[in-house]
Amino acid sequence: MLEAALEGLSQILTPDSLGLMCLGVLLGSIVGFLPGIGGPSTLAIMLPFVMTMKDPFAAIALLVGFDAVGNTASAFTSVLISVPGSSGSQATVLDGYPLAKQGQAMRALSASFVASLVGGLIGPIVLLASLPFLRPLVLSFGSPEFFVLTLWGVTMVGVLSGNVPLKGLLAGILGIFISAVGADDKSGIERFTFDAAYLVEGIDLVIVALGIFAIPECIDLAARKTAVAETQELGHGFLEGAKDVFRHWWLTLRASAIGIWVGFLPGLGSSVADWFAYAHALQTEKNRENFGKGDIRGVIASEASNNSKEAGDYIPTLAFGIPGGTSTALILTALIAVGINPGPEMLTTQLSFTFAVIWTLTISNIIAVAICLLFIKPISRMCFMPFYSLVPLILVFVFIGAFASNRTSLDLVALLAFSLLGFMMRRHGWPRSPLVLGMVLGDKMENYLWLSYGRFGFEWLARPGVMILFALLLLSLCYPMLQDRMNRQTQAKLPPVNR
Amino acid sequence: MKTRLKLEGFLFTLFIGAVMAGALWVARPWPIRASIGILVLGSLGVLLAVWQLVLELRRKNGALERSPLESPVAEAENKWGNVEIWSWIVGFYLLIVLIGFMITVPIFVLAYSKFYGARWALSIMLSAIAWGFVYGVFEKILHVPWPTPLLQSLF
Repeated sequence: MLEAALEGLSQILTPDSLGLMCLGVLLGSIVGFLPGIGGPSTLAIMLPFVMTMKDPFAAIALLVGFDAVGNTASAFTSVLISVPGSSGSQATVLDGYPLAKQGQAMRALSASFVASLVGGLIGPIVLLASLPFLRPLVLSFGSPEFFVLTLWGVTMVGVLSGNVPLKGLLAGILGIFISAVGADDKSGIERFTFDAAYLVEGIDLVIVALGIFAIPECIDLAARKTAVAETQELGHGFLEGAKDVFRHWWLTLRASAIGIWVGFLPGLGSSVADWFAYAHALQTEKNRENFGKGDIRGVIASEASNNSKEAGDYIPTLAFGIPGGTSTALILTALIAVGINPGPEMLTTQLSFTFAVIWTLTISNIIAVAICLLFIKPISRMCFMPFYSLVPLILVFVFIGAFASNRTSLDLVALLAFSLLGFMMRRHGWPRSPLVLGMVLGDKMENYLWLSYGRFGFEWLARPGVMILFALLLLSLCYPMLQDRMNRQTQAKLPPVNR
Repeated sequence: MKTRLKLEGFLFTLFIGAVMAGALWVARPWPIRASIGILVLGSLGVLLAVWQLVLELRRKNGALERSPLESPVAEAENKWGNVEIWSWIVGFYLLIVLIGFMITVPIFVLAYSKFYGARWALSIMLSAIAWGFVYGVFEKILHVPWPTPLLQSLF
């Protein structure tokens, strides 16, 4: 094994492979920074070039290097202008942007990059350790278990609604309805398309996220007629942000584990990991009143999970040849084209390739975070730009991002509609996160439910995996209530002066 | 102002309730596999919307309950409120439809920044940056096929 590890490392560190890895990291960071340009579409552009490569290690360096860092640089736009750069950094907006408004952009960015690094380093370690053990586990998971997992995600709507549960539930249901728009695979009929060809393919999550989060914040900025930051300081947050990650090391580890788990389960996708981790932080951390108003723990949870998720994606991809998402499906195609056969051989005769992936994930994360930290100060100054400089640039950024996702003009009409919805929700105190979560999980939940019923009837409810997951779901719902009750009891026991 | 906000909030909840009811109505004739989820959730949604409407009616002026994850909204100080920024947004979209992305982007950035008091040099620089970004990344590198502007297809 040590031999394979050293061979993988030496092949990745050849000048050609290292150069291609740096190119991949740079491209991945730029794509992550720009909303609307998805990683998969850029990977698709790169495929014809990669498939002609003779050296499989060079192909791994370029593709895995690109894929590993997509969510790192996206924190810049999420924190500074409330525009999620990638689908994996939507939850970062919730606390990152308020921190920027409070003049703590440096702290938020530094925490997000260090959390990304930690998540990005834990991921490959778990990938390495888990390969021999996870095969039976992943094979035991069927559609019923996936259904309970998505249901678990949907119950997070309650957590994200806070003290307005009715509004949160309604927003979650609306999100599920939006996810239902388009041709239905199960019945073959078109749902909520109203004979419009544009709606047959469904509504893109990028459009909804840009409309719901970015435009309402931009309107707020235009209404305030000030800079993003309400103070004139970047804050002494550079080191503080890094310290925050280690101060909340247990949360960082838990969020990273959630990311790996979500990545490991095929089909859940990057947009789920950050929401799961954020909701988990909100559910389990003490003193939750600052979440959504600029709590650094929200940034840490979201960013640690979206990076560790990338390594989790590679577990089923390499070990079983089952891609965890669209990006890994494309990478799998390229790997096969250059002579790598993902599957059990990756743990035996082709172990050096597996180690090459692990080393690339590790090194590219370090390079990406170093690049981001290098530019943190100049880019953070964006917070002090007057509104008349920033608002038109954000609008250009958002409109181009919306158009670039599907390249149809009707996306701009959809963007305006969702902007109005997001604006009204924000204005009237409706939580916007449940809508996005409902949209992310809605169609998955429905598909898994029907697959389970079609295959097992109602017997799927008695599967051991389903029962264990249901028990964990109930435990996660009850835990915050128990925790609150215990806190109240502790408070009641304290003498009044200490309360 | 507070009464108007309360009325607006009521109408918005009414709109969400109408969407839920509309979804139920549209989903009725669908096969059970396609409709069951919509029917169950839609019915629940209508009930919740009615409950929320009752809460909105009973709410005192100015006592808006807000999700802790949503920060308070800044009220526009001019007499037009947020209509002003919405006009800019819709205007930007209409210009894109009429004359296309590549021409609209520098014009919009220049007009907006200059209107709110930026110096000419800054406005021109911002327009050039925005145009350069769109041209360089989307036109030259990604070869994005822009939609044909309406004016071009008319003449």
